[in-house]
Amino acid sequence: MYSAYLIWLLLIPLILSLLVFAVRWLGRATRRVVEALHLICVTLVLVLSLVVVQGVLVQGTVIALGNWLHVDSLGAIFVLIVGLVGFLVGLYSISYIRNDLETGEFDNAKMSIYYGLFSLFLFTMLLVVTSNNIIMMWVAVEATTLGSAFLVGIYGKRSSLEAAWKYIVICTVGIGFGLYGTILVYADAVNVMQEPRLAALWTEIVKNAQALDPALLKLSFVFVLIGFGTKAGLFPMHAWLPDAYTEAPSPVTALLSAVLLNCSLFVIFRFSTITNLGIGPAFSQTLFLVFGTLSVGAAVFFMFMQRDIKRLLAYSSMENAGLIILAFGLGGPAGIAAGLLQLLNQSLVKALLFCTSGNILIKYRSWNLDKVRGMLQVAPVTSLILIAGALALVGAPPFNIFVSKFLIISTGMQVGYAWLMIICLILLMVAFTAFFRVIGSAVFGDKPEGVVRGDVRAFSLVAPLAILLIMILILGLYMPPQLATLLNGATSVAMTGNSTSQVAGASFWQSSPALPTGLIQAEAFFAPLANLLPWK
Amino acid sequence: MLSVSINEVNSLCGLLIITSLLVIETKKARWSAMFYSFQSLVLVLIFLSLAVLMQANQLYLWAASAFVTKAVLVPLILYRALSRVEEAEMPKNAMSPVVALLIAAASVAVSFIVVDQIQIKAVAPFKPALAISVAHFFFGVLCILTQRNIFKQVLGVCLMENGAHLTLALLAYNAPELVEVGVATDALFAVLIMVTLGGQIYRTLHTLDSSDLTTLKG
Repeated sequence: MYSAYLIWLLLIPLILSLLVFAVRWLGRATRRVVEALHLICVTLVLVLSLVVVQGVLVQGTVIALGNWLHVDSLGAIFVLIVGLVGFLVGLYSISYIRNDLETGEFDNAKMSIYYGLFSLFLFTMLLVVTSNNIIMMWVAVEATTLGSAFLVGIYGKRSSLEAAWKYIVICTVGIGFGLYGTILVYADAVNVMQEPRLAALWTEIVKNAQALDPALLKLSFVFVLIGFGTKAGLFPMHAWLPDAYTEAPSPVTALLSAVLLNCSLFVIFRFSTITNLGIGPAFSQTLFLVFGTLSVGAAVFFMFMQRDIKRLLAYSSMENAGLIILAFGLGGPAGIAAGLLQLLNQSLVKALLFCTSGNILIKYRSWNLDKVRGMLQVAPVTSLILIAGALALVGAPPFNIFVSKFLIISTGMQVGYAWLMIICLILLMVAFTAFFRVIGSAVFGDKPEGVVRGDVRAFSLVAPLAILLIMILILGLYMPPQLATLLNGATSVAMTGNSTSQVAGASFWQSSPALPTGLIQAEAFFAPLANLLPWK
Repeated sequence: MLSVSINEVNSLCGLLIITSLLVIETKKARWSAMFYSFQSLVLVLIFLSLAVLMQANQLYLWAASAFVTKAVLVPLILYRALSRVEEAEMPKNAMSPVVALLIAAASVAVSFIVVDQIQIKAVAPFKPALAISVAHFFFGVLCILTQRNIFKQVLGVCLMENGAHLTLALLAYNAPELVEVGVATDALFAVLIMVTLGGQIYRTLHTLDSSDLTTLKG
């Protein structure tokens, strides 16, 4: 039954995207029709993604189309992110794009292109996280670039075209490397399995991972990490990221940062499972630690130099990608679980903050601190959301990222990377300073002349932010049992490739020596909150 | 019955590198589109030879789709886009022919070393072809990095894709057809989107020189 829902989850955004492109010639009615179709699309994607996640909770995996589509606990977390963030950001888009229509940045044709590409972009990302065929997964990742390049450059200005060009060129080259990694794994699998039709399926490859050629596995993983790491914005392949994030319309940036970045990491995780099962985890973990630390370090350095709020957030996405990879590099169930939790948490916070940056743009027509001042006077609600979001992002309690950052650092200490964790803590503190220097300057002070007092009022500019903020707070204080089950299962999938999530996941937590000790510390620290932690 | 030897395939692959040099080094941009079409024909020939040699019927389909997309459609798209640009406004080639030749030689050398690590029985006779396909990919990457003309960068992507496509044909010819369709469609759309964006950049910024794209920094 869930298989049909999974197929519809992919078909709906694809069909509605084509419909949106088709109705652009309706004349005056275009706007209403397109907006209605868009809302139907993001709502259905949310509902269907929740149903598919429910399917994973009930039966462990949801498969369709002869096992070409496959969602296990790991995939379910990403499907959930696409559905949830896609819906909230989609809702936010309505008023944001209406504002662009009023200011003349957009006309009806551009609006139709925007909404059509939005749905197409959702479709391509859903295809990435539901593909079981590794080559199709690559095709889908490349399609995400193609679907989003026009969205990045949609304003057609000098700077946005430049950003779109860098984005498509650098990512196409990067993804080319990813293709090589993928082909090498496939060719190796065919050699071992003698059954070409099965050799492309991730679930089959992991079963035969130990028979794969070790040298090829290493070579392919390096290609995969460079290739898909480019899309995730890992250092030193990040050059496109700050430009594309800054120049894209804010809802698109929210999707790029909160969803697409995760999709690229998802592919890397899928391949690291194959590599780890084949040659042991040491090789991928070393690469993760190196790329993770370098990305965090480089991002923090750039963050410190920023005077542009959105660009600061862009570099912070790079920092988070680095941190997640770093957590995976720590290894063991604790590191992987902490990394996945950080991934989910940062998605929600980034969606919140990039949408907030959209509200700032609506009020100030800029993100530069030379122009953005006195936000508390001009837009008090937006500035409070900005402060809360920034606190959440830097890892202050009681917000969600505090829990995941704490778990990453304590796991690192547990597994013997104390020195690396100290470096990380210093870097995170520098990031904290960078953030509050910028946010403080934007929020306080006198408002510049020409900026009218009065916050944004439109429902869809405020409601998604409120929902995101509530979720961020809840996840900081409480872990829903369903999410804990998914995280347990996903950790198990990432380590063993085994999709029978609940059974294997549960036994993992019991058998892991690193986790309980790490969590005893965490629990001692949280004291009153300890009972709410999922893995107590 | 048509007979093809492994050596013929390997020499055809060598021809790919020569055509790449022509694509990159020709002074008239529109000629590069034609040389690219010629190169894609060579690629189609390689697919056909491999189909005969490995008795892989799927590769006939690959040859057909490569002919339509790479030898006809992509060059047409590029030719049309380039016809709208004044030849005088084309940025000069950043790479001298000698440098290009050296880079090509270096990519081939490095690729031979990399490919030597691959221990897959079925591929053993095609190692030179495989090495050249990888080298072709890297040559494309280097073109993108060194060329200032954004249309030449698009051609760099095309060269890169031809290399990857050949690797795919050598290592993954027995993958499900849908996979090849996906890869080929992506490649076609990538070129289409890049050319459209390039056209927008030319109309808005009045330049085709990527070194003029310097608004965003830091």
